[in-house]
Amino acid sequence: MSHPRERRAHLSRRDFLRRGAGAAVALPSMSAILAACSKPGTTGSGGGGTGSTGERVLARPDNPVTLPMTREPIPTDTPIEGGTLRVYNWDAYFYKKVLREFEDEYGVTVEWTTFNNMEEGIQKLAAGQIEADVFFPTTDYIGRLVEADLVQPLNHELIPNLEANYWPVFSDPGPFYDLGWRYSVPYVIYTTGVSYRRDRVDDAAAAQAGYDLFFDPAFQDAVSYYDSYRDAIGMMLLRNGDTDVNSDDPAAITAAKDAILQMIDQNDARLTINGTYAKLPEGEFTVSQAWSGDIVGAKWYLPRGTAEDVLGYWYPPDKKGLVGNDTIVITNGPSPRLAHEFVNWMLDEHYGYINFTQYNGYQPPMTSIVPERLVDEGIVPESLSAAVLGEENFTLGYLQGELSAEADGLWLDAWSEIQAGG
Amino acid sequence: MASGTGAATRRSRRGRSSESARSGVRYPGWYWPSFTLPGVLWLVLFFLLPFYVVVSLAFGTVDPLFRLPLPVYQPWWWSFDTFATTLEKFYAGDRIYLDPLIRTLLYVGTASLICLVLGYAIAYYTARRAGKWKGPILVLLISPFWISYLMRIYAWQSLLQPDGYINDAIGVFGVASTVWIGEPITVILGLVYGYIPFMILPLFGFLDRIDQNLLEAGRDLGAGSLQTFRRVTLPLSKPGILAGLVIVSLPMFGDYYTNDLLGSTQTSIYGNLIDDAVGQAGQGPEAGSLVLILIVIVMIPMLYYLRATRRSTGMT
Repeated sequence: MSHPRERRAHLSRRDFLRRGAGAAVALPSMSAILAACSKPGTTGSGGGGTGSTGERVLARPDNPVTLPMTREPIPTDTPIEGGTLRVYNWDAYFYKKVLREFEDEYGVTVEWTTFNNMEEGIQKLAAGQIEADVFFPTTDYIGRLVEADLVQPLNHELIPNLEANYWPVFSDPGPFYDLGWRYSVPYVIYTTGVSYRRDRVDDAAAAQAGYDLFFDPAFQDAVSYYDSYRDAIGMMLLRNGDTDVNSDDPAAITAAKDAILQMIDQNDARLTINGTYAKLPEGEFTVSQAWSGDIVGAKWYLPRGTAEDVLGYWYPPDKKGLVGNDTIVITNGPSPRLAHEFVNWMLDEHYGYINFTQYNGYQPPMTSIVPERLVDEGIVPESLSAAVLGEENFTLGYLQGELSAEADGLWLDAWSEIQAGG
Repeated sequence: MASGTGAATRRSRRGRSSESARSGVRYPGWYWPSFTLPGVLWLVLFFLLPFYVVVSLAFGTVDPLFRLPLPVYQPWWWSFDTFATTLEKFYAGDRIYLDPLIRTLLYVGTASLICLVLGYAIAYYTARRAGKWKGPILVLLISPFWISYLMRIYAWQSLLQPDGYINDAIGVFGVASTVWIGEPITVILGLVYGYIPFMILPLFGFLDRIDQNLLEAGRDLGAGSLQTFRRVTLPLSKPGILAGLVIVSLPMFGDYYTNDLLGSTQTSIYGNLIDDAVGQAGQGPEAGSLVLILIVIVMIPMLYYLRATRRSTGMT
């Protein structure tokens, strides 16, 4: 009798995902149980599976990937569907007015379903629990979504705003994880730096300390760090002088883990997700690890009467820090043409700008958005100008990509130890 | 004993037959057993099947693409590698799961004891001394359930902020402002706050049913109030104490949101380990393994409870 790991290698990808994720997410239905009890490889694949479990090339900035075309994009003359467009996005990542105006323009309904983390989003999408037309994944999932045949190639003729409004560095030849933007377009960009209260920390001191600000004993009980293993360990790798933010070196990962544990032990640092955008402006924390979009959006959480310039943000002045972007893809929903219209809508200069400035806080990589404009228009206080990105961030910064299973295991083991309290 | 039980059963059957004969109704053999069907179905659908899924997850694997948990339902294909690795984290290497386990036992034990002491006093007063206020007090005791537990803990989170009302209140007495969130005592009191109604209600049920004549008999035989309590009330309420302890401690073992909202990584408890593993891609089998290990741990107080209640009800 073969070991199940060998047998499962004969399963198609779709079959794998449907059975596994479906059972894991919810109480199993009887049909799921019965399907799962059948001999692996004998149940229908559901179509569309690639059947491949071979080693995939991991995309890296120095090893960019052109994703295979799983089919032809929809023709340009495809009629725009009516009815409902189903959008699957992170919670609180849309300005609703942008959606409402799209509804008015096209005479359709936008049904927005949210997820709280990427694992949840992928599980529900792969299991078929969520039927979506448009999905907002992180970049490390793009290749896998293509391999699982859960997304469809884009017709760029239907998304003219990509070339018209977005940074040249992003348009040609495209990002390392999807050269030519075959399946994805950029949604927002961000850096990961150190935010602080300027009424308690001097700018010069923050600039001198950099990442070491988290270790300053003056901020006992007032430090927060993201409850997100890639960002937490990634930043500590940089602090330790290791620039491979996708490291599979056990010694480097252990050193980063030890540094985080030291920070927690020394300053009673908290792992949170809302530390930057909510707790720092409220005054609970003095120093917080920060995505640039979080600190830009933090002004909405300041107590009444508190000046916006109380918030500060440090990012390496040479731009050699963590940088990333989220994307939009079109899934296999029933309205692919309407989905193209929606993607183009989100990349529109006006709607991208108000989505960023009036609610989201996360910047789209548009040529029209420059720090001077944002400061002049009062969108971002001068003290947060470092939180506004330029094209050079993507040529100088360190981008996180998908990890191999082995490397991911090392990162997760380190993270488990941190979460267990060391 | 066996023959005595058999005789009792025979008497019981004869009694039922004569009762049926008297009423003129005869029931087929399957009639009474069929009443257990809903309970059996409930157990199968909502306990055995989900439990089997957890076992299949623990001994299963992950999808190599998205690293989602992939349950293996066929026992002959189960792999015990992840379970063994998870178990090792309690006693080998850095023993990263040992501290949260010890913390859990400590927090749950302390919180259960506080629940018992406070809950017993409240239940005793309500059952024996409240008089006409018994009804209103019971309503007040269950009133916290009108508000979601999560919302109540959020409220405490706000009250316990460095600039919250708790620090304001103790500041009146000259006590320096304290950082409450993230402290073990805060997590323990959070557990007490969340679960104490589950201790009070069963205790009240038992104390309220104690026959007044037994207490009077104790006093007639010369026992004082304290001695009557110690020799009569306390032993008679022992099943209620055990039931209350089981009812509050079992969910505490799986609780994670109290520490999520009031604690920190340095107060991580067992439920947090499971929650963290569930939320990370590739950690599904580890989450399942942690659940199975927890089940073995909570079986110990459960078995003691079953043994104690069997003894107290005269069952063997």
